Amino acid sequence: MFWKSLAMSVVLGAALVAGAQAQQAVTLSVSVRNHRFEPTQLSAPANTPIVINVKNLDSTQMEFESVSLRVEKVVAGNGQASVRIRPLAPGRYEFYDDFNQQAEGALVVH
Amino acid sequence: MSVRSVALAACAAACVLGASSVAASAQSAAPNWREIETKYIFGFTEGSGVGLEGEKEFSVDTEARIGKSGGRYFASESKLEFEFTPNQYIQLEFGPFVSAHSISNVRDLDDRQQLGLGGFFGEIRAMLLERGPSSPLALTLSAEPEWRRLDETSGERVNNAELELKLDGDIELIPRRLYAAFNLLFEPEGTHDPDHVGAGWEMESKAGVSGALSYRILPSLLIGFEAWYLRHYDGAWLNTFTGDAVYIGPTLYVQIDRKMFLAASWNTQVTGRDVEYPDDRLNLSEFSRHRAKLKLAVEF
Repeated sequence: MFWKSLAMSVVLGAALVAGAQAQQAVTLSVSVRNHRFEPTQLSAPANTPIVINVKNLDSTQMEFESVSLRVEKVVAGNGQASVRIRPLAPGRYEFYDDFNQQAEGALVVH
Repeated sequence: MSVRSVALAACAAACVLGASSVAASAQSAAPNWREIETKYIFGFTEGSGVGLEGEKEFSVDTEARIGKSGGRYFASESKLEFEFTPNQYIQLEFGPFVSAHSISNVRDLDDRQQLGLGGFFGEIRAMLLERGPSSPLALTLSAEPEWRRLDETSGERVNNAELELKLDGDIELIPRRLYAAFNLLFEPEGTHDPDHVGAGWEMESKAGVSGALSYRILPSLLIGFEAWYLRHYDGAWLNTFTGDAVYIGPTLYVQIDRKMFLAASWNTQVTGRDVEYPDDRLNLSEFSRHRAKLKLAVEF
């Protein structure tokens, strides 16, 4: 019974991930300079996979993090990284730098 | 030093750690009321959180059972738990656990002072409904198989397998301040020849429902209250009712720093029925008088 539940959960998760990736993703970009996001607000359409390219222009590392987006990603100083986000319902989703929490931003999904 | 002394010392150390974190938070010039992960803020009741993709965590998660009929009874299981979230829908956990038993003069149990490897566990959590701007309710399904070599109640050497299935739901009643949760539990388990008489697997099962509230009084501190109703049966499919119990108690969650937290709870059995001892006001055969949970976790 457990193995059946486990298999179903893995299949369900894989299907959700695969389904999300099969759709054409919207790509957004945000930079961090002097421990601030630029721009502080991003926009994206609802129910569409999203890729956020995070460019860290500071020399110290930062961590792009969001509870509602359910992601965290460390970006090295003067480095960049991509964060993949599942299709989202309309609303406002906040993100921040977990290493320097004064850096805040939001993704607004229409 | 007894097992119970070690557990109490760990609790005291955790409380000091938590208090210093709260003091630091209270002195902060700019309180930060960001969204929080809800999985561990409700005590024994689990919230719906599945973590953040890319997050890894190591924790020591101890559940203790204290008090039986007469005598002295203390038993605990401490999970050494590795948890990670491979994507935004699923969370996985696994690890060994250490069992401790300190039992003397308890009805139907042998005296025992013991500390040893109790077994191994794994868990998969799948998000069914996510909280978002349009839905304050979130639901997660979890399945946790466990294998034990030491019986969780008596501490005897056993070959025991258990599957804990839960539906974890929570809702944000006041944004970023007040949260409510419920759990639905079904837990079949089997023990191979527990009386050493050449019998096969002896099956039993447990069902339960809980409700919990957690209020965020500081950005890094939540306190709450939970209630559990648990039923025990002989047979894997809730076949023959043998007793039930109601627990209530407080909960605590402290974010010690941005990558470390502590969660604690204490439940007391307030009423219970035992089919075998119908005159008893509590069910202390299948459940303990008190139970406590203490989890210290480090994310990386």
